[in-house]
Amino acid sequence: MEKFQLKMKVNGRTVTVAVEPGLRLLDVLRDVLHLTGTKEGCGEGECGACSVILDGELVDSCLVLAPQAHGKEVVTIEGISREGELDALQRAFLTAGAVQCGYCTPGMILAAKALLSRNPNPGRQEIARGISGNLCRCTGYAKIVKAVELAAAELQQKEGAAGV
Amino acid sequence: MKKRGYGIGSMWYGIGSTAATNPSGAFVDFLDDGTAIVMSGCADIGQGSTTVLAQIAAETLGVGLEDVVVITADTGMTPDSGPSSASRQTYISGNAVRLAAEKAREQVIAKAAEMLDLDPGEIRLRDGQVWYEEEPAGKTMIEVIAQCRGEGILTLGHGTFNPATTKLDPATGQGVPYATYAFATQIAEVEVDTETGIVEVKKIVAAHDVGAAVNPQNVEGQIEGGCSMGVGYALLEEVVVDGGEIKNPGLSSYLIPTALDMPEVFPMIVEAQEPSGPYGAKGVGEPALVPTAAAIANAVADALGIRLYDLPLTPERIVAAIKAAASSQHE
Repeated sequence: MEKFQLKMKVNGRTVTVAVEPGLRLLDVLRDVLHLTGTKEGCGEGECGACSVILDGELVDSCLVLAPQAHGKEVVTIEGISREGELDALQRAFLTAGAVQCGYCTPGMILAAKALLSRNPNPGRQEIARGISGNLCRCTGYAKIVKAVELAAAELQQKEGAAGV
Repeated sequence: MKKRGYGIGSMWYGIGSTAATNPSGAFVDFLDDGTAIVMSGCADIGQGSTTVLAQIAAETLGVGLEDVVVITADTGMTPDSGPSSASRQTYISGNAVRLAAEKAREQVIAKAAEMLDLDPGEIRLRDGQVWYEEEPAGKTMIEVIAQCRGEGILTLGHGTFNPATTKLDPATGQGVPYATYAFATQIAEVEVDTETGIVEVKKIVAAHDVGAAVNPQNVEGQIEGGCSMGVGYALLEEVVVDGGEIKNPGLSSYLIPTALDMPEVFPMIVEAQEPSGPYGAKGVGEPALVPTAAAIANAVADALGIRLYDLPLTPERIVAAIKAAASSQHE
């Protein structure tokens, strides 16, 4: 089959790769670009482990065909730290003890990031809804919700300080 | 109509493999810079055992947690520690690491006693220093380790722990299946919609005797995670098998709790020191899940005045039970 010239922005960098048109975005990220922070869980859009942010929207990268990402901007877990400094959400996950086996964590953090960009000050129920497409079998979600609250509070405080 | 109910579930659970030998081994060595290396076959599957083993080693050796490196679950390097199952690793591998660290410590203390001309029985290692009678004795652990190195004395300790169990008598079933047990009680508050049969768990209070909580945040994480599996067991999860075929093999047909299904969980850590445990610790992994479904089912019975005997408590089963109870009242 003829290869598709896929051009997209991944974590701020423009990449051009020739891929099979039937390849999933998940496969391009993991197997072609070696960004293995994105995990494959169920492969059918139920668990959220493969979540990435595509043009600002949280998507299951197992349900996105590579050509659908053409001309778009993808953010993966590798793209949210800046010059070695962890994102507020990553730090909050560490502080709150929100990581156990870690398999859901990249998707969970990106779900939380997408939530906070829509709603910088979510209540507990809004956080639960925001991460409800991401399954976690280890933590019972309590410390994940706590971590998102912590990160939101920190970002709010920073914003307040910047405003002054 | 929405009806509220409260239920309680209690359990005790053996720590370690049942009526079987299940030892764990560990190596602990001081390095030249006063840091330590722990080698254990214990596989950390997210429960935090590597952190717990580092804490136990640091406490025993008198060094900071940041000065302990743990190498785990590498068959080329680490001794066998048995499986990460049976809620056993903190108790059994924790003991192995403690014993190995004590032996490594003995080497350093013996050399320190010789260098300082002091009674080794009175020497302690703490914060990287050699201590005597509650005061620094004027030598750092790095200096003593360097002296050991120079003389060719190894600072390596090895430890093994096998819980004291017996086989069970095949005729009577009697014996000692476990060396120690964890205990827990959970209370659930539920709201049952009598029209739709939907059960909403509003709150779970989960009190767990873990011996000593080596890492309280990890213990809470285990309790909260166990409760979420318990909520799934009580309300959602059922493997449907028909003619040997699983009919619900995916996460779209076999539902597990999402963040929206979880109530607020209030973990309560009860620390009743276990004398045979490392610094008094036992295990918490599986016990966290054991009483949850019972507490929820009891809460549903309290709300409805009807007891159901099959899990999960699906809306269909709840509505059918309410109808059956109503029709038997009419007869």
